[in-house]
Amino acid sequence: MVTAEVRPIQWGRWLRRFGTLIGFLVVVAVFWWQKPATFMTIRNWLNITQQVSILGVVAFTMTIVMVMGDFDLSVGTMASLAGIVAALVFRAEQPVLAGVAAALLVGMLGGLLNGAMVSYIGISPFVATLGTLTMFSGAALYISNGKTIFGRAIPAEVGDFARGGIPLGLIGDQEVVIPSLTILALIVLFAVWVVLEQTVFGRRLYAIGGNREAARLGGVRVRLLRLCAFVATGFGAALAGLMLVSRLASANPTQGDGLMLNAIAAVFLGMTMSEEGEPHVLGTLLGVLILGVLNNGLTQMQIDSYIQQILTGGIIVLAVTLSSLSRRSA
Amino acid sequence: MMSSSPLMSIAGASKSYNGLPALIDVSLDLNGGEVHALMGENGAGKSTLIRLMAGVLPADAMHVTMRGQPVTIYSAQAAFALGLRFIHQELNVVPQLSVAENIFLSQQYPRWGGIFVHWNRLNRDARAVLAELGITHLDPRTAIARLSPGDQMLVKIAGAFVGGEQAGASVYVMDEPTAALTGEEAAMLFRVIQRLRERGCAVLYVTHRIDEIFQIADRVTVMRDGRVVATKGIGETSAAELIQLMTGRAMQQIYPARAAPPGDTVLLEVHNLRTDAIRNVTFQLRSGEILGVAGLIGSGCTELIRALMGADRVLGGEILLEGVPLKNHAPAGAWGRGLAFVPEERRSQGLILSRSVGNNVTLPHLAQINRRSVFLDDARERVVTEQLGKAVSLRANGYRQSVRELSGGNQQKVVFARALARDPRVLLLDEPTRGVDVGAKYDLYGLIRRISAQGTGILMVSSELAELIGLCDRILIMRRGQLVDMVPAAGLTEESLLALCYGEVHRGDG
Repeated sequence: MVTAEVRPIQWGRWLRRFGTLIGFLVVVAVFWWQKPATFMTIRNWLNITQQVSILGVVAFTMTIVMVMGDFDLSVGTMASLAGIVAALVFRAEQPVLAGVAAALLVGMLGGLLNGAMVSYIGISPFVATLGTLTMFSGAALYISNGKTIFGRAIPAEVGDFARGGIPLGLIGDQEVVIPSLTILALIVLFAVWVVLEQTVFGRRLYAIGGNREAARLGGVRVRLLRLCAFVATGFGAALAGLMLVSRLASANPTQGDGLMLNAIAAVFLGMTMSEEGEPHVLGTLLGVLILGVLNNGLTQMQIDSYIQQILTGGIIVLAVTLSSLSRRSA
Repeated sequence: MMSSSPLMSIAGASKSYNGLPALIDVSLDLNGGEVHALMGENGAGKSTLIRLMAGVLPADAMHVTMRGQPVTIYSAQAAFALGLRFIHQELNVVPQLSVAENIFLSQQYPRWGGIFVHWNRLNRDARAVLAELGITHLDPRTAIARLSPGDQMLVKIAGAFVGGEQAGASVYVMDEPTAALTGEEAAMLFRVIQRLRERGCAVLYVTHRIDEIFQIADRVTVMRDGRVVATKGIGETSAAELIQLMTGRAMQQIYPARAAPPGDTVLLEVHNLRTDAIRNVTFQLRSGEILGVAGLIGSGCTELIRALMGADRVLGGEILLEGVPLKNHAPAGAWGRGLAFVPEERRSQGLILSRSVGNNVTLPHLAQINRRSVFLDDARERVVTEQLGKAVSLRANGYRQSVRELSGGNQQKVVFARALARDPRVLLLDEPTRGVDVGAKYDLYGLIRRISAQGTGILMVSSELAELIGLCDRILIMRRGQLVDMVPAAGLTEESLLALCYGEVHRGDG
């Protein structure tokens, strides 16, 4: 009788903690079974990591604001704007580094604007970043005249960066290379993990997310920290914009716009992994991988891209539903 | 009318969680026309018993009879149909709606034309219900958010009362309804309870406040460790006996005596302090002194503490800490300068519930604890937390345990541990023992004494006047945002102190 009572509770906790991870493994297993020759290969997995690297950078840095219970809707259009800014600097035949610096600066200024509105003026993050989403998009279209910048305007080394990587040597008869974009995303992942989990700054952000008023009364400079967090997210969005320019060797004023929803979805998927429902960047990584693997596997199975969207959305909703149901029962 | 058999009788109620017994063979009789108090420390099983009665938790075993008829409470709906009504301490009202709308929330609103709400009738009915309970000062059309917590509680009781009439509701279970109320609001509530009693209802009244029991209860049942240890008529018992029954130990001295007189050094000087809520506050706090602050709700006691901690904006006047004026005052700076703070509401203002004991204790001290390392020093956090945990006699399952899982008393000890981490010069306490069980309360009284013996100056706001009189050296009296009087605590009684708060009588009588 005692064990009959214990079991469902343990099961609920376990499911809550690892349900999303198990779901991920199930998805992987299904694709492996369906596409044994092409899915479970090192080459394909490196390919997946490259495909998700840009989304990853946005989602990892998005986690920083979501830890505080805020979010940033403007990251997608910021990525587009930062890409355009860099491309314009490139077209003006300035050094590559100048373009990179200009783009990152724009990202941080955008984040500063978001953060100032949210923390010092007190506008809700939804409204404030919805506003800047539109502003950044308009700015990107205006300064580019709505045209894609490509071809000779983009220096060769920019495109070469995304094509390059660190060679691992031959496996079988294939040359295996870890793509540069993957390495960059891993560096961002590690940096965000250190900041959130291993520093006083991160600890305070979690305190703000847990109870903003208690954090303030407990000596946390809430407004300053929220401002800094939005700046970090803006920086991440701009970096992702640069990665897109490198990957596509061109800059289009709307090419980053779609990143925002997927980044938020990835953080939410990751939140299902935590006992208290807090975002953690390693959870976000799992969320990003789920989205990336679904995209890769479904494409290999030649499933219609519209159907892919339905499946992806459905899986996100399912994961979050299961997680909140198990939370309620426990 | 009182009948010979009890209105509701519970026998052999038992419940275990994961094999751990929370309730063991509990029996309880509730008579019509009687207020039955239920007391016990946190974890004694009161809440479990109430949840079984409410049908929200399945019992392992429980026999219930209503008016002599055996019944089963298998769901919340069943409990409702049997005429049981539950009033919890949280004010779960819908703030945007009016008093009348909240009262009739669980009912059909009166209609005209089959569709439209008949507002006049709704308000008229609400006024009638309120009048029946002796509540005449509330307008049914007022938005409930504009009422004081006490009046909101009265509206909630009215809501439980209506609909009960037709359905024959007869048992009211109130779980610490006065937890957030002032003395006068509680008095109003007691008059309403009196009405319910006169109408032949049975009231099961849960509280931590012993004085209330002697005001309103006819009988009292004390629980400890999941069992009923005694049921007594109110005339046959005393506060001392109830405390002994609840804690299992004799309480000779509720308020420990101070070891040494307060020192002469002035730690905190406040001159003409003014904020949105207070003005003209001038006083001095000496080392080793415990200075009380008393006043009715809305008199500015909490706001004084908040201003000193930098939580509210200071509009005028001066605060000097050891002679140094505090400028651009904010909580972050206050902690750094040796002020520490136990806020009024530990759950909404004190704790990060999603985080561990260690995280909560170290929150204001992170920079200091980690000053020698770039990354968070988990070992230091553990050492600091365990040391302070011992100092406040915290019972927790290690520094990594989530504070959400702790009892109210232990959560409050976490807030205290945080305040003590840097040996504060001045400690600001706002309702330090609110919602804390008796055992933890005495731990905290002893702790407050020990802190002051080390030379820390303590400023303490409390709505429990006995606590102020028992612990403080002097008491500041606040009225409508102003500091109106300062009296030595020695010789005060609760009555004379309350009279000072109201501003009716002169000091020192009684």
